[in-house]
Amino acid sequence: MNTTLSRNVLALALLIASTRAVLAHTGYDAALGLQSGFLHPLTGIDHLVAMVAVGLWGAQLGNPAIFLLPITFPLIMALGGVLGIAGLPLPATEVAIAVSGIALGLMVALRVRPPLALAMVLVGAFAIFHGYAHGRELPHAADPLAYGVGFVVATGLLHLCGILIGFMVRWPIGEQAVRACGLVIGGVGTYFLLAALGAIP
Amino acid sequence: MTTIARALATVTASVVVLAGAAVPAHAHLVNTRLGDFYGGMLHPLTGLEDVLPWLALAILAGLQGSKHARWLVAVFPPCLGAAALASLVGPAMPLLPGLGIGLAAVVGMAAAAAAALPVAAVIVFGAAMALVSGYQNGQAMTGAADPLLFVAGVTAIGYLFITLATGLVIAFVEGHGAWRQIALRASGSWVAAVGIMALGLQLFRPPT
Repeated sequence: MNTTLSRNVLALALLIASTRAVLAHTGYDAALGLQSGFLHPLTGIDHLVAMVAVGLWGAQLGNPAIFLLPITFPLIMALGGVLGIAGLPLPATEVAIAVSGIALGLMVALRVRPPLALAMVLVGAFAIFHGYAHGRELPHAADPLAYGVGFVVATGLLHLCGILIGFMVRWPIGEQAVRACGLVIGGVGTYFLLAALGAIP
Repeated sequence: MTTIARALATVTASVVVLAGAAVPAHAHLVNTRLGDFYGGMLHPLTGLEDVLPWLALAILAGLQGSKHARWLVAVFPPCLGAAALASLVGPAMPLLPGLGIGLAAVVGMAAAAAAALPVAAVIVFGAAMALVSGYQNGQAMTGAADPLLFVAGVTAIGYLFITLATGLVIAFVEGHGAWRQIALRASGSWVAAVGIMALGLQLFRPPT
């Protein structure tokens, strides 16, 4: 058995050693745009926690908020993105993004259950600021369309992460864990708010 | 057991080593003129400008059911081919990219809303999108390419893409669980979001 394993390892090593660089960069710009767009919401913790909070809150509120909130968010975010692309001034964007983390985190932590329309309005209002921040970067991307696809998909997947974590509300201990997640998100939002206001260097 | 295992290992290792040692086969199919057909087939797939609207259309038609989807499969490829042919003699249309993206946004929003549409609406959306895509792809063709082969390639990939994507959507949505339709609606909202921003880019792109 050891002989078989060592032969296969040797064969794989030879295979890896014999590979060559592929020099055909077809669609390089698209790949680069997709990559930078996808990473934008993931590398900004303030964006990331707010996206996860939308999913968590949707899961906590149940049907139909569980899918209406994550559908509302990208659509309104796109409108914010257009504002950013157009270069229109939107004051206190960073502050509003940080506040979105605090507000959505608190909604989850305190298990706030407003009417569906109000929840959608709140999520939509914050989505404008997140979209604006992404939209400011979009025209400078290697492939703006691919950049847009990347950050919309990443945003959607972060909502999905929140929803999947939010499914824990079915169990009492899971419910507590989800609320604790909301508290952590609120804490992260507070940190970014203090940073945006210059209180933290 | 040991003999068989050793023989198997030797054969596996040999195959892997041979595969690793393979050199590129310089079969330049492009020289046979059929390359223009494949050029036409690949052209819509090399960017997201066509793939995204086609995907949104497939999701929308698939959500409506088999009857709507069959009409889309019948209408989309001929319109795509006709528009690509028309672009060979027609003028440049600078507004087409914006129109195509706007259509993608509308179709994406309809999918996100799970709007119940009549067959005629799916046909109109399908034909409009095919006409825009076909014209844009035809105009992107270089002068050295064989126009008929290129257009045939564009039409073929349009048919394959729409048929396969719509079929997959129908099979997916007919599976067990309400989450499947929700997933498709969310995908529609993603396409709509990208479409709205791309439209904004077309309208407000800052000077470079």
